[in-house]
Amino acid sequence: MSQQTNANRPGLFKSEDWWAVWLGLFIFLLGLLRLAGVDLVGWVVKTSVWLDLSKALSPVSGALQGKLSGFASLFLTYVFLTAILSIGIASMGGKVGRFIGGFTIIFWITYICWIIGHNAFIAATPDQYAKLKIGWSLRLTGESGFIIALIVGLLIGNLWPGLTRYLQEAARPEWYIKAAIVILGAKVGLYALQSTGLAAQIIFRGFCAIIEAYLIYWPIVYFVARKYFRFTPEWAAPLASGISICGVSAAIATGGAIKARPIVPIIVSSLVIIFAVVELLILPFAAQAWLYQEPMVAGAWMGLAVKTDGAAAASGAIVDALIRSKAATVLGLKWQEGWMLMSATTVKVFIDIFIAIWAFLLAVIWCWKIECKPGEKVSAADIWVRFPKFVLGYAATFVLVLLIGAGLADEGRKLLQAGIGGADNFRGIFFALTFFSIGLVSNFRTLKEEGMGRLALVYLICLFGFIIWIGLFISWIFFHGITPPQIS
Amino acid sequence: MSEQEKLERLPEEGEWFDLLPVEKKLILGSLGLGVVLLFILVWLSYTVVPVAK
Repeated sequence: MSQQTNANRPGLFKSEDWWAVWLGLFIFLLGLLRLAGVDLVGWVVKTSVWLDLSKALSPVSGALQGKLSGFASLFLTYVFLTAILSIGIASMGGKVGRFIGGFTIIFWITYICWIIGHNAFIAATPDQYAKLKIGWSLRLTGESGFIIALIVGLLIGNLWPGLTRYLQEAARPEWYIKAAIVILGAKVGLYALQSTGLAAQIIFRGFCAIIEAYLIYWPIVYFVARKYFRFTPEWAAPLASGISICGVSAAIATGGAIKARPIVPIIVSSLVIIFAVVELLILPFAAQAWLYQEPMVAGAWMGLAVKTDGAAAASGAIVDALIRSKAATVLGLKWQEGWMLMSATTVKVFIDIFIAIWAFLLAVIWCWKIECKPGEKVSAADIWVRFPKFVLGYAATFVLVLLIGAGLADEGRKLLQAGIGGADNFRGIFFALTFFSIGLVSNFRTLKEEGMGRLALVYLICLFGFIIWIGLFISWIFFHGITPPQIS
Repeated sequence: MSEQEKLERLPEEGEWFDLLPVEKKLILGSLGLGVVLLFILVWLSYTVVPVAK
């Protein structure tokens, strides 16, 4: 480790890590150009919850709707992604022709899964029933498309070895998720920018709650995984981050920070997604039953307990609708919409921000203490080599949006929001590509050999044994007694 | 199994070993800091920046 030379350190254009930064920043800059009056991301495809399949797809820009069909928008998105990813592959010395062939298949299968996941009877949440004129759904949100992509990927990966080998060059889950996280930084910056005034108070408490959650959740999960389930640090650290912090992003960042094998964060991510869906199905209804008199506690609890950004935000939206409805009926109080969702997303935003800091701390500890051989010194340069570079991209987009947004008037902020919102559609696509690729590269036999059952058990015990309850306790301490403004 | 497949197989996970002193310090330090900060942050939340209803 300490003898690593400059020669074997990947350059700025030779590693997936750096290329995730370049791709994320490039897409971010395209969105940012909206401020200059140039809409370079309006043509990107957006997928909506649908009952009529012909209405599932549309371009992001309202100005292009009616002029550009949803399918044409999807095709342009495919061409654009194929082009920029191929440049990255060429620069990294990959087989471009093989990548394009594989990526084409991966993209279209993934997107079909993504569209299926947005079907109203699968994805719609109760607050959308009236608009869609339906009486029931599985309430899984559009993110169920991730699960469908994962399952299809697993089926192909395990039952169709010939096709899997052909797709191998383009099945790069780490690359896709890291690019998505860089783009996510801009969206998180936008959230932070929008939350001012009274909201700033909630932000402060959300910040406090997150510090507590990190410092208490993580060491307990790590201890349980290491001591009682006999996992090595390589497994225990990403698992602790995945279960206790922010699911997929945290597992990937931690895996990168401690230089775990790629399979480790990928398997942990698979578990995170599955359990996030379970949480999404249970916790909002538990919050409605127990916390309808403490709405902000309920919102913060969703942010602290439900893993993955999408599932946490969806839980916040469901809780917002469920509790306002119950409060109106039982308490005779009509609370303003959106405050519970805000407390959930605020907490989640800070979780996302802290991922980078936590990953850095772990990188330093692993590099200096845990993996050091007797007498071996680790230099600052080694820490830099080990540091996950995509975290820098995430921090850069976050800070840039904050700095740019702070100097803008309302009209400018709307343009910024539109541009970043357009670019953020690529994040959803990269996430979906990640999950299909995870399925593709995950062999059931390997999972069994690596102890998937044991991982699931430790996840189940930690999540339902104490993570959810400590999250509820922390939410209660910081948010109890606060209620949203009433509607007159 | 072909040679290529053997090469592509993931390396096995390392052998389990008991918690190292540095891991114990990390766990206890994190928990201790969490408990101490809990009191400080709750105090700050309710006195320095009380939330307006």
